[in-house]
Amino acid sequence: MKKPDRLLFSAKRGVVRIVPLILFGLAWHVVCSAGLVNRDFLPAPAAVAAALADLFKGGEIARNLTITLFRATVGLVLGAICGIWIGVMMARSRRFREYVTPIVGGTYSLPKSALIPLFALWFGIGNITSIAAVFLACLLPMIVNTYHGVVTTPKVLVWSAEALGTGERELWPRIFIRNALPDIFTGLRIALGFSFVLAISAEMIASTNGIGKLIFMYGENGTYDYMFAAIVCIVIVAFFADRVLILLTRRLLVWHESAVAELDARRP
Amino acid sequence: MNPLEARTDALAWRSAVSILLFIALWEVAARVHVAPAILLPPFSIVAEQLWRSILDGTLAADLSLSLARAICGLVLATAGGVILGLLMARNRMVDWLVDPLVALGFPAPKIAFIPIFILWFGIESLSKILLVMFACIFPVIIGTYSAARAVSRQFIWSALSLGSSRSSVFLHVILPACYPRIFTTFRIAVPVGLITTFTAEMVAGGGGMGATLIYSQRFFESPTVFAYIVVMLAIGLMFDAAMRRFQSRFLRWAES
Repeated sequence: MKKPDRLLFSAKRGVVRIVPLILFGLAWHVVCSAGLVNRDFLPAPAAVAAALADLFKGGEIARNLTITLFRATVGLVLGAICGIWIGVMMARSRRFREYVTPIVGGTYSLPKSALIPLFALWFGIGNITSIAAVFLACLLPMIVNTYHGVVTTPKVLVWSAEALGTGERELWPRIFIRNALPDIFTGLRIALGFSFVLAISAEMIASTNGIGKLIFMYGENGTYDYMFAAIVCIVIVAFFADRVLILLTRRLLVWHESAVAELDARRP
Repeated sequence: MNPLEARTDALAWRSAVSILLFIALWEVAARVHVAPAILLPPFSIVAEQLWRSILDGTLAADLSLSLARAICGLVLATAGGVILGLLMARNRMVDWLVDPLVALGFPAPKIAFIPIFILWFGIESLSKILLVMFACIFPVIIGTYSAARAVSRQFIWSALSLGSSRSSVFLHVILPACYPRIFTTFRIAVPVGLITTFTAEMVAGGGGMGATLIYSQRFFESPTVFAYIVVMLAIGLMFDAAMRRFQSRFLRWAES
């Protein structure tokens, strides 16, 4: 397919996919203006849009969103780096794996938000508590996926590389890590989802700023149009963050067909 | 003894050592006051507090309330998600209408919707159950949808040509073919459900594990905080083990 054709096709597809969202907005508008529900319980879309514009103009969103994104990103990056490292170490050394497995297994199934009160106790209210919660939530999927990716390296690849004279040191970056990349990206997508959830939870529970606190504060004050606007905002940001990661994965892993297919929007 | 057994033995042994070492380190660190007792109570005092909570029934009350909420939400999410996923896979109109909403909802941090659920459904159990359902339904929809789309046409055509009605194809061919995938997504949904329940309780109160945890933290009752975290960890492990066992017993025929 030529490029303009493809552009036209994706534009068409985008329009087709956005129509139901517009319909949804219209239904929301009709429900509100017909007075089917109490205005206090469900502000009209126009009111929410006005609130959103106001929040943008006042810099309220920009300020708190930066704080939340900062916490989520720092936690995610630290979690990813440490998770990949621990995962690789687990694959490399049997002894390390056997000692670490029960701790990883235990923390993996622990609902990570349970640790927020503990972190609040240790680190007080603010950045460190949020980052620590995000870090831990991102760490575990990264460990598990990296380990899985390294361990499932086909023997043929290793043997071929060795036969061609690749040394033990070079084998790691060139064969094992590369083979684990699709799994690492799968882990990264899970971790990205967690990073938003944990950052917002931590802010609702133990913080004085950030988008989570903003949403919760508007909820408590009863300014529901602003609350809806802030929620709409974070939903859109999370959606685009996810999209960007998928596009990045597609670009970086062009050589790996099933990884690209697996990351299709339809599959978690 | 065959080599495989020997290895699992070594694994079990090292796991035990690792956990005991962790507990011993915790106890020693707390006893020599690496951190004030309010930040890090010794393991023995946490265990004692745990025992007390079990005896006076507060733990049982909190735990049953939280688990009931999580399970209700998960059951609703599974039922609703499977139905919606199947409908989307079989009906283009439904697919067109619902897919963009699912695409938008799947990556959204559902916990941000807590204030809306409190506003609409109050502060008690209903809002939490519905929030858990909302948080867990998206992976179930997507999993069911892709499983139903992947059902081999030949199975469907064979059943149709042998005289099965559309509804019986739905019930006896498509749905069973989706079971393994539905279960896999259920395994993803369970931790999400637990996290959402506990977090909702922490934010909104209304009783349960999360609410007690956050109150204990506010009043600096650290042993209770640690005891409840240990219980939550045990719950997570138990759910995971139960699902593993279920999978290996009932879904053996599906290659995973």
